[in-house]
Amino acid sequence: MKSNKRGHSKTSAAVTLSVILVLTIIVGILGVSGLSLPPKGLYKLLGWLPTTDASQWPESLPLGLDLRGGMYVEYSAAAEEGAEADFDSLMNGTMTIITQRLADKGYTEANVQKIGTDGIRVEIPDVQDDTVLDLIGAAAEMRFVAADGTEMSGSKIKTATYYYADGDHQIAFTLTEEGRQEFATMTANNIGSTITIYLDDEILIAPTVQSAITEGNGVINGLGTAERASTIAAQIQSGALPLVLTQQKVDKVSATLGQDAVSTAVRAAIIGILLVMLFLILRYRLNGLVASWALSIYVIILFWLIAMLHIQLTLPGLAGVVLGIGMAVDANVIIFERFNEEIRNGKSLKNAVRAGFKHAMSAILDGNITTLIAAIVLLIFGTGSIQGFARTLLLGVVVSMFSAVIITRVLMNSLVGIGIKRISLFTKVNKAKEVEA
Amino acid sequence: MKIKNRSKICLIISAAIMVIALVLSLCGQGINMGIDFEGGLSMEYDMKAAADKNEISKVLDGMNVGTYTVTMQGAEANEAVIRIKDVAQDDIQNIQATFEEGVKAVYADAESIGDVNYVGPVAGATLVQNAIWSVVIAAVLMLIYIAIRFDLNSGISAVFGLVHDVFMMLSFMVILRNVIQMNSSFIAAALTIVGYSINNTIVIFDRIRENAKKLSNVSREEVTNISIKESLGRTIGTTITTLITIVALCILGVASIREFALPIIVGILSGVYSANMINGYVWAFLEEKRLARKVKA
Repeated sequence: MKSNKRGHSKTSAAVTLSVILVLTIIVGILGVSGLSLPPKGLYKLLGWLPTTDASQWPESLPLGLDLRGGMYVEYSAAAEEGAEADFDSLMNGTMTIITQRLADKGYTEANVQKIGTDGIRVEIPDVQDDTVLDLIGAAAEMRFVAADGTEMSGSKIKTATYYYADGDHQIAFTLTEEGRQEFATMTANNIGSTITIYLDDEILIAPTVQSAITEGNGVINGLGTAERASTIAAQIQSGALPLVLTQQKVDKVSATLGQDAVSTAVRAAIIGILLVMLFLILRYRLNGLVASWALSIYVIILFWLIAMLHIQLTLPGLAGVVLGIGMAVDANVIIFERFNEEIRNGKSLKNAVRAGFKHAMSAILDGNITTLIAAIVLLIFGTGSIQGFARTLLLGVVVSMFSAVIITRVLMNSLVGIGIKRISLFTKVNKAKEVEA
Repeated sequence: MKIKNRSKICLIISAAIMVIALVLSLCGQGINMGIDFEGGLSMEYDMKAAADKNEISKVLDGMNVGTYTVTMQGAEANEAVIRIKDVAQDDIQNIQATFEEGVKAVYADAESIGDVNYVGPVAGATLVQNAIWSVVIAAVLMLIYIAIRFDLNSGISAVFGLVHDVFMMLSFMVILRNVIQMNSSFIAAALTIVGYSINNTIVIFDRIRENAKKLSNVSREEVTNISIKESLGRTIGTTITTLITIVALCILGVASIREFALPIIVGILSGVYSANMINGYVWAFLEEKRLARKVKA
């Protein structure tokens, strides 16, 4: 009965190992090549593991500007003098307009981000042309077009300000002397119909004329939210962006530099990981093999998560990945050193695995949690590239804990479970002691 | 006793390195600030032929651009990196065009390669401020976490080690000023080390925590000695594996990767050094004091 049970657990350990091995290989191949099942287009899975050939880079791993090539600009924004509207809503309005303008010109992948309280960062991939910058900051052409076809230029507006009255968000505007007469005729002829205000052929707003505006000042009401009202007011006032932008930083990265950086970094990482595996196997023998295996699974899972969460890979982001790999290896090293100690203390392989994990866990948890604290702080307080680093590090640490606590444990237990008895396959042993064991 | 003296010597060595860096900085030989921090305009040109730095300087002199530097690189010194300080945003395109015209008069095939960068004076300052605050906040939170999981003195000595490592990295940025420039990637590197070095310290403190319970009648210093010795296998294993990957990146990577990898290597070495030679003994020193106070009370 007893031997039967042992035989059974031996089989189940062998099955576990084989299943994990087959899964690792299949998922690894899928990660590199992706999968599309015939009939074509019915099901498509994109590969997600990095390659050294930048032209074959998987679509599912979007590259950041520093790796892909393109340009980014950072602006600091300031409200126009005398503006009373809430700064934050003007910021949001400005960013929406920039995104819209770029999208209109075909830069649909451009990314507009807020930095701190008054900074705006615009990233445009694959472009290195300064004229794009003019597009962002350009003063737009504004026109007032009435239902009967008459037109007035936006330059005849003197001021436009947001205010709140009678439970409604409104814009009060005044006209220049020339504009006063023109607008009076226009409104008088169009009572009950709309006057559409265009900004660069884009409809800004189309209010209905309620009465003729002859005194050179009027009100647009019913704008819904404070943000919308103050943004439109600022746009009517300036004919352009609601805030004044000052260029702080321009960076153009050529695509070749980016491709070089990617392929060399990936090549270096692969060489590095292979050397690490070699070292682990030489030093920890079968356990090193387990660690290398767990490390491969770690890399597959980590990049799968990066692809799933659409995290842009940047140079600092790759650094976060490298640090994450370091943490994963460290966790395994801590476990194996403890395991070796337990063996030296005369424990059996099975007990050494159990005790090794038990004693290693507090160090692994505390080490990973403190690193996690750093990553979270950086994610919250950092900007741009620092956040990219924090994001991959955060993922890396979480996956590394999973890999150390679960994958390595299952692999080690199964390996011991299939009945390997020779301690020297795991660690250096004192000859006399092995005989005893 | 022997090892404690060694920790004192280590503190003196670290202090000496930092003082040398400080003195160099005060003598105007400080950190080689890159464009991310200093602001200005940087461009890169390939002359397509062996080029003379003086010829390029002449072009720039003729343009009245103020302070600039020209660095030659490439196989036949055919590439020039030009950095100009104090450039107004509106002049960027003008300067680029004038320079290109001037340089083409000397080297007909010259063309712009690589990055063109412009950084305003405010952007750099914001970056540094932001990074310093992030590190301070992270350090305080780590101190709190370690104080809860271990004890207050462990938290203090771990953060002490962290500050030590960051200052060592800065010192080496001064000492290696001819090899490496400080750009925003340095901040990412420093942050990596903040995470890595605390991990090293924690693994040793974890041993100390375990041994301190078992060996209550042994001096704290001896507990530290034993714990460091017992963790040595892990220290060697982890340090070598981490260094393998980073050194591979440093050797094979392009310049922007090296700017990141080299400070990390310095930080890793400093982290191992402080975790094994300094932090534990700072803890032992603080604990002995606390215990002595307790006995007196």
